[in-house]
Amino acid sequence: MKSLRQFSLVLALVVVCSFFAVMSPQFLGARNISLLMTELAITATLALGMLLIILPGHIDLSAGSGVGLLGGVASILIFEHRWPAPVAMGGALLLGIFIWFCMGNLVVRQKMPAFIITLGGLLIFKGLFWLVIHNSTIPIVEGGKANLYSVLTTFYLPPTAGYTLAALILGFLVIAKLRSRKARQSYGFAVEDREMVFLKIFLTAQLIFLFVIVTNRFRGIPLPAVILGLVAFAIHVLTTHTPFGRYLYAIGGNEEAAVISGIPVEKVVVGAFSIMGVIVAITGFMQTSYSGASTTTVGDLMELDAIAACVIGGVSLKGGRGTVMGVLFGALIMACLLNGMTLLAVSPEFKFIARGVVLSLAVWMDVRLSR
Amino acid sequence: MTQMDSVVLKARNITKTFPGVVALKNISFDLRAGEIHGLCGENGAGKSTLIKLLSGIHPSTSYEGDFWVDGARARFRSLADAERAGIAVIYQELALVNDMTVGENIFLGSEPRTRTGLIDWHKVYHGARLLLEKFRVEIDPSAPVAQLGVGQKQLVEIVKALSKNSRILILDEPTAALAEHEVLILLDILRDLRQRGIASIYISHKLDEVFAICDRITVLRDGSSIITLPTTETNRSDIIKQMVGREITNLFPRRASKTGGPVLEVDKLNVGNERTGTQVLFDISFSLCAGEVLGLGGLMGAGRTELLMHLFGAWGERLSGSVRLDGREPGVVKPDEIIRRGLVHVSEDRRRYGLILDKTIAFNLSLSSLPILTKNRLIDQGREFEKNRYFFESLHVKAPNLEALAGKLSGGNQQKVVLGKALMTEPRVIFLDEPTRGIDVGAKQEIYKIINQLTDSGKAVVLVSSELPELIGISDRILMLHEGRMGGEFSRAEATQERLLAAAMGREGDFHPK
Repeated sequence: MKSLRQFSLVLALVVVCSFFAVMSPQFLGARNISLLMTELAITATLALGMLLIILPGHIDLSAGSGVGLLGGVASILIFEHRWPAPVAMGGALLLGIFIWFCMGNLVVRQKMPAFIITLGGLLIFKGLFWLVIHNSTIPIVEGGKANLYSVLTTFYLPPTAGYTLAALILGFLVIAKLRSRKARQSYGFAVEDREMVFLKIFLTAQLIFLFVIVTNRFRGIPLPAVILGLVAFAIHVLTTHTPFGRYLYAIGGNEEAAVISGIPVEKVVVGAFSIMGVIVAITGFMQTSYSGASTTTVGDLMELDAIAACVIGGVSLKGGRGTVMGVLFGALIMACLLNGMTLLAVSPEFKFIARGVVLSLAVWMDVRLSR
Repeated sequence: MTQMDSVVLKARNITKTFPGVVALKNISFDLRAGEIHGLCGENGAGKSTLIKLLSGIHPSTSYEGDFWVDGARARFRSLADAERAGIAVIYQELALVNDMTVGENIFLGSEPRTRTGLIDWHKVYHGARLLLEKFRVEIDPSAPVAQLGVGQKQLVEIVKALSKNSRILILDEPTAALAEHEVLILLDILRDLRQRGIASIYISHKLDEVFAICDRITVLRDGSSIITLPTTETNRSDIIKQMVGREITNLFPRRASKTGGPVLEVDKLNVGNERTGTQVLFDISFSLCAGEVLGLGGLMGAGRTELLMHLFGAWGERLSGSVRLDGREPGVVKPDEIIRRGLVHVSEDRRRYGLILDKTIAFNLSLSSLPILTKNRLIDQGREFEKNRYFFESLHVKAPNLEALAGKLSGGNQQKVVLGKALMTEPRVIFLDEPTRGIDVGAKQEIYKIINQLTDSGKAVVLVSSELPELIGISDRILMLHEGRMGGEFSRAEATQERLLAAAMGREGDFHPK
């Protein structure tokens, strides 16, 4: 069942990519891959935050509005209040943590369903966002200069730095893989064949270097890809190597048993929401920076793309099941779809319909496979 | 022949098995027209299963044996079949819709219609009034059910059942939640129904009521019908003896351990249910010493589970009283804090409260102990594995390896995983709520051995069990609860099944007149 799901994921990705590659030769071009990486980074970062909310069985519909709001707050602080960019972004980040901390508390202490609270949040944040930016377009930087905010999506790692980073990551992956294999062996668990391990590492290495070569042909590895890498690594460690992460799975699997097992359910869920605040802020900065300015449409429907990425990646909406790798794959499929449609100049009407169909298909698959 | 003709319900050789358990063995009994027939037995004697067969919840294809209604073979394939045969069941949990009126509830699902197909509300309320008057129940048919007391709801439910022309009424612990005067009203109505030729099966733990109202009594024990006696030819002590009548074998290898000082002291504890606002536990006091097994017994609903869950911080509101753990008052804290202070709870419902079923054994075993298995805030996977393996092996969990899913294990092995999870937290006090329920004899033996090992190493155990022989066999002292109150405390030497059951029924005086 697990492998069937993984297989269908890869298959879906291949189908989507081949379709767009055939329809539009630019799709696999260096410039577009670079853009795609930036878009993927934005979608996937938010989806990884969503993973932390869905694992214990909750949902966050307010993430998209939050992306707009927090990006807008930072923009206003910089453009109208002349705050230095890092300070403005820090302020918006703290605001994000505070808001999501409060929503988490409402969910666990007042026993209000997350669906309702975050639906309220969706509307409230949207209204606040438009208030904050006075229904207009707020640039993220004054008079064409650059600041930390604007370089978020315009900075690229120079080629040599890219290769060095790729080599470091690969070395780390190889060591981690071999150590974990050795540990599993010494504990008497089943391990993959030597050949299989080599094949996997070899393929990963090829993919990593191919990625660096392609992006270097444009301008280098885009900064958002690096940010996504850091976020993904952090969330992976959090979900698989800390008590907090185990508790997320336990709460989603059986909340009553989790309580009796001595898991501080309320603290854990509030913690997950607070981290979501951080993620929403980071995504807000990247998305607003990518748009070039804070406008009323920034963040629209991004919560649904994030949820779709999770579900496509095998995260159960009932909670208790889902991995970082799965979410990254799901986000990649979503990003390819959106990017490809833009490239083909699909009109917005059909883009909406296509996103809806993909989301429905993914949920249908989730229901079918988790039966 | 006249005797036979008056039998409205006949059961012959009814045998019902669940996977691994025989719930009913060759049950036979007769219910006569116009009689009230008492059904007595301990928890798990098979009363509820029998009712589920009669009401069609377990369809006739799932068991052996025959039922006869009015001399004709009856097969209850569904709830509707049983209803058509004239059988109505009044359950412990009432099945009325709170937001509707009395009249709406009585005709729920069989609403009278006008010619245009709409509900004829006039007929609903008029019909309800006639029915209520017929059975001399003084309740306004237009009153919302939510405003009625439990006793009145019970009466509405009975009227609703009788509105479908039922001739056989089955009442499962109908007075469990009633006040004294409501019980009297209910008994009067049942006597009135008897006059009208309606036969009732009356299930109750309260022997006073059974003797006050029943014409005959049938005792069930371990799924068999032991004896049926006219009420006039028996007495309470006799019935209690028939209910227990089991041999205590040396299935229980309890060896007493050296006891130390008190680790858990409970003094005049009063606890309420937060949701309903009613008091559930009254003036509970006991102490537990290191190296000791305290048995906690009582009938269903006596408050055993509630007491343990409250002390564990997972249930109820403390009204008054004190609890001391290792001589210190922990205050009212949540389970995560209580576990850190050395008290752990193994729930009676392991699938619901014990395990994350679609995770691995390893995930479940270490779940409660992760805070003590971390290094630099990350889980030390080496140490986690060593701990998991230790409990996996020492508890003899039968599974291919630690990565097998908990949901796929047998009941006994699931219980061992839950136990291992609790023990890994290195507790000093362990609550075991029905630890041997639904597991096979071999696994039971292993659980008993583990209990002995625990007390040998100075840990204290509170054991809840519905099986009196098990309670007597494995406990150093036994505390019986009766309707949320202390029903009696016994040393191992004093305890007999008769005395314990009498205490659980609030009738200790029957055996030890003071």
